[in-house]
Amino acid sequence: MIKNYLKMFLIIFTVTAQAPLDLVIDTNERDIEIKSGISGTKIALFGATPSGKRDIIIEVVGPPKNQAMQEKRRFFGFWLGRGKSYYKNVPSYYNLLSSKPLEEITNQEGLNKLGLGIEHLPLGKAEIKYSTIKQSEFDQRLRSEMFKNGQFFEEQGNIILRSGPGKVGLFKTEFSLPPNSLQGKYFVRYFLFQNGEAISYAESTIDLKQAGFARLIWIFANKFALLYGIIAIILSGLLGWVVSLIFSRYKLT
Amino acid sequence: MELYLPIAEISINPSIFLLLGMSVGILSGMFGVGGGFLMTPLLVLLGIPPAVAVASEANHIVGSSLSGTIGHLKRKAVDIKLGNLLLIGGIIGSFIGIGIFNSLIKIGLVDLLITLTYFFFLTGVGSFMLYESLDSLGYLKKKKRRKTYHHSWIMGLPFRMRFKKSGLYISIIPPLLVGFIVGILASIMGVGGGFIMIPAMIYIIKMPTSVVIGTSLYQIIFVTAIVTLLHAFHNQTVDVILALILLLGGAIGAQIGVKLSSKLEGPYLRVALGLLVLSVGIVMASDLLIRPEETITIIRGGGSN
Repeated sequence: MIKNYLKMFLIIFTVTAQAPLDLVIDTNERDIEIKSGISGTKIALFGATPSGKRDIIIEVVGPPKNQAMQEKRRFFGFWLGRGKSYYKNVPSYYNLLSSKPLEEITNQEGLNKLGLGIEHLPLGKAEIKYSTIKQSEFDQRLRSEMFKNGQFFEEQGNIILRSGPGKVGLFKTEFSLPPNSLQGKYFVRYFLFQNGEAISYAESTIDLKQAGFARLIWIFANKFALLYGIIAIILSGLLGWVVSLIFSRYKLT
Repeated sequence: MELYLPIAEISINPSIFLLLGMSVGILSGMFGVGGGFLMTPLLVLLGIPPAVAVASEANHIVGSSLSGTIGHLKRKAVDIKLGNLLLIGGIIGSFIGIGIFNSLIKIGLVDLLITLTYFFFLTGVGSFMLYESLDSLGYLKKKKRRKTYHHSWIMGLPFRMRFKKSGLYISIIPPLLVGFIVGILASIMGVGGGFIMIPAMIYIIKMPTSVVIGTSLYQIIFVTAIVTLLHAFHNQTVDVILALILLLGGAIGAQIGVKLSSKLEGPYLRVALGLLVLSVGIVMASDLLIRPEETITIIRGGGSN
């Protein structure tokens, strides 16, 4: 908390010191705070804008990953996942944060123009096998599943605006990465809106050094498959043994 | 509270899975079976990808069977020599089972293999339980009990060996074969195979019932450990977090089950269990036959990304 305020003062100080009336969004790497814990990774973004009537939309796009999809078809009377599509560059994370509900900031056309929103997120070319279904259909389902499963987000109204000293306004937003988040570069785009029009733009990157807890287990299971298997057996055996110890000590059986 | 399973790649509510582990644990405590044949299909019905359910359940059984074996070892109710013979068959079987499993993964039919195997076993075992318990309750017409069929050809098999603990002098071929079949089932279904092995040990190998459960559990520890290792190595489908949650719930459940079994009436319980097993089998099969709500879905589990 105190750290956040300190950070805000630091931003105010540097922004006012630079007298940045032409600089409408000020962010850089020191305005990003990453907190990693067992419960996941929290990221806070700070910045400064001119004060007054304004709205902010921030888009965060995570590093790419492979993703496979299947299409179930009837096969000798059974519904089986026969058709496949393999993506190589699906963003592992997406979030569209805004200071107000999106429709109060701009209209759909305004979002379309800037390519904002899950439906505009590029998914890359997919390799489709054993299926006559078009990629656009796979794309659509991929987007909605990623949204449903907590990989893609639209956290509307999650940016807090505050007025600073003089003509400087401040914004802050905080969001959590899912436990299976990848390490790597997260690209952030900032848009300043006034009366439904984007009037300024800035970008930065977040370099996430450590993947989420679940992702670390996944990497271990895939990179060191044999060792992972041995550890899985030992852990299970150990827990089974401890259980039998407890129950025999307390004569529960 | 939500927990993300790293290998199954879904968010779950851990208390539901603890409860599931506990319920299946109660059943296994009451009936002396491992319960894997119920656990894997229930995991699939709860949304765990079938290949992950199979591998993680095998991982779970390593711990639960070890815990069970320790108790039986203390009561000296394990025939280790015969168990080792079952184990040799089991190891060979599990490698062949994994081979079948992997070749079906390659052509995208592994879910079908798992579901169909379960359908046949669950409906088969379920109907048998139902029939047997209704019979013992006297609901079925009394038939003249068939004379126990003496497997004369089994008695005549070569390579005989003496098993002091079980008081047997038998050919090593039947135990090897029983272990072999159980090994195949373990790798395809993620079960210990007690529900097949125990009747086979009693009726075919003719072991004394006092050592049957302990000996089968002893074999199951090692076969499921090998199955876990093979799935982890080839398919990366072992979700250790899931396995440990189930194990924790199961351990508590098994103790409750042992206590309950002395208080409740056996045949009625078996009617209920028979119905449960039968219905899980039917629900699982209907999943294959009914058009899914969404035909296009993300593939989860198994190192696809």
